[in-house]
Amino acid sequence: MLAAQIVATVIFVVMFAFIVTEKIERQYVSLGCAALVIIFVFGVCMRDVQAIIDTLAFKDFGKLSFWYAAGEGEGEGAGINWATILFIFGMMVMVEGMAKAGFFRWLCLCIAKAVKYKPTAVFVTFMLMSFVLAMFIDSITVILFLAAVTIELARLLEFDPVVVILSEIFCANLGGSATMCGDPPNIIIGTSLGYSFGDFVANTGFMAVISLVFIITYFYLVFRNKLVNKDASGATKNYPNPSEAIQNKGSFIISTIIFLIAVVLLVSHAQTGLTVATIGAFVAILTMITSFKDLKEIMKKVDYKTLLFFIGLFVVVGGLEQTGILKLIADFIAKISGGNIYIMIAIVLWVSAIASAFVDNIPFAATMIPVIKNLTEISGVPLTTLAWTLAIGTDIGGSATPIGASANVVGIAVLQKNKYSIGWGKYCKYLAPATIIVMIVCMICIYVRYCGLGV
Amino acid sequence: MDKQLIISISREYGSGGHIIAQDLAERFGIELVDNSLLSKIAEEGEISVHEIAKFDERPKRPFITRTVRGYTNSPAQNIAEMQFDYLKKLAASGQSFVVVGRCSDDVLKDYKCCVSIFIMADMPHKVQHIMGKFEMNKEEAEALIKKKNAKRKEYHNRYCTGKWGDSRNYEMCISSSSLGYEKTADIIEAYVKERYEKL
Repeated sequence: MLAAQIVATVIFVVMFAFIVTEKIERQYVSLGCAALVIIFVFGVCMRDVQAIIDTLAFKDFGKLSFWYAAGEGEGEGAGINWATILFIFGMMVMVEGMAKAGFFRWLCLCIAKAVKYKPTAVFVTFMLMSFVLAMFIDSITVILFLAAVTIELARLLEFDPVVVILSEIFCANLGGSATMCGDPPNIIIGTSLGYSFGDFVANTGFMAVISLVFIITYFYLVFRNKLVNKDASGATKNYPNPSEAIQNKGSFIISTIIFLIAVVLLVSHAQTGLTVATIGAFVAILTMITSFKDLKEIMKKVDYKTLLFFIGLFVVVGGLEQTGILKLIADFIAKISGGNIYIMIAIVLWVSAIASAFVDNIPFAATMIPVIKNLTEISGVPLTTLAWTLAIGTDIGGSATPIGASANVVGIAVLQKNKYSIGWGKYCKYLAPATIIVMIVCMICIYVRYCGLGV
Repeated sequence: MDKQLIISISREYGSGGHIIAQDLAERFGIELVDNSLLSKIAEEGEISVHEIAKFDERPKRPFITRTVRGYTNSPAQNIAEMQFDYLKKLAASGQSFVVVGRCSDDVLKDYKCCVSIFIMADMPHKVQHIMGKFEMNKEEAEALIKKKNAKRKEYHNRYCTGKWGDSRNYEMCISSSSLGYEKTADIIEAYVKERYEKL
């Protein structure tokens, strides 16, 4: 087993190194490394065909529990988490349909109009909108549309769009932490450990809402001077009309209905028994049928590269899991924390946050799930406590640096492409303290709720 | 000029490529597009020329940059793409110009009126040129040349399909060492004129 462990670890480290350097596109890296794991770890070192079958997990599609899970969710085993893949695919198809219909731009413009285009009100409402949208939709899409409208309004109202977009980025990441479908680590944690949308809302959602209050206050205090309308002339502005954002009224209504159906299905999935895989497949099929004439265009825009990256990643992490490496890490954490739940939580929370600030939080979360499962077995600390801790650490930690989360990269790219200056220094000056504030708020919440009160 | 002409000059640091490009622009009476395009980009936004210049023709730095669905937080890459877009727009407008660097050999390769030239020089000549330009000693000049050329190579190869300095990617590769800048410009001018006639 030692040889298998060494090979699996080397492949994992090499994969991470290649992902960071971006010399080769990450989906090729993860799929290539997945092939190496199958050949060398499972084939040559372990000679274990069953490990290959378990990791590829194709049999999951044939299980009733993959599509319908009455009662308590079981959670997926090791290997490729097809439920996550199918759900993300479904949401991608749905979001592309919504974007094509002009939904996001319409929503942004409606809210700006509702607050009478006052910069401070736009700033606060856009933060809230970013938080709420990111609870259901991937943060990249949220930021792409919000940032574009923010820049448009900033040029019109003459306020600084950089600080507004930075706040939106942070709130998108925070909103993503609130639900099971908001951020990929949460989907992976939820499907792997069998938690529902409601479980996430009641736990990470609760912490995210409390943090939101702190963070809006923080951003308002820090940025209020940059939100002053520089144009004091009082000249009449030609504000964009929300209805102009709608490309096609029929498609707009249909895509809005599909979105609302997806939200209802997600919120009620613990009651209906429909799994996220079923919901993903359902909204994808619904979008494909209703947007049949734009199907080719919508399907072209789906981010297959990310889906392929996930597939490869699950196999590589499966290699670490099957060889027992992740159990060794869990043993190590249990040892240095001396079985103390407070120290264990602090380690999981801050290590997750710091790691996610610098590396992709998806591979990190996927790697840590078997670790926290093992930690629970070793120490007796409830798995739920560690799961919410891991989710918050990976979701929030990514906000601290420009490369920590996808929303950060996209928001900065939109600003730079529009010729606004934003680099590491300016980003970290405002968002690193914000991240620390939220991490401390969440750590207190976890200690009080799961260790002190035991609710 | 009745037909459009674009001369793309790629050059080794210290080879005098910029001087030759300036000379060619004057000889053909067309605009020289060099780092002056940075100020044009800066004018369109809330960013200073100084800020853009910091990342001009610089390779993307690994470890502190990330790409997500084609979007990146790398200022070097975003500024490079802005420059490529600017060059494409300028070329599409039908204007004739001489462009220095900025991956123009690759960015404008689909334009039949684009003549791509690579100017090099041997090390002693490059060192001589840089020593005279910046008042530095031989070792310092040589180190600077090596550093700058490594960066140019990395920058070019990051965004282009062909490799920097690979003769297969250029219509003409010429060393400025043997004949000097003016005579080198004469040869390029003669070639471009012949080429222009056949457009």
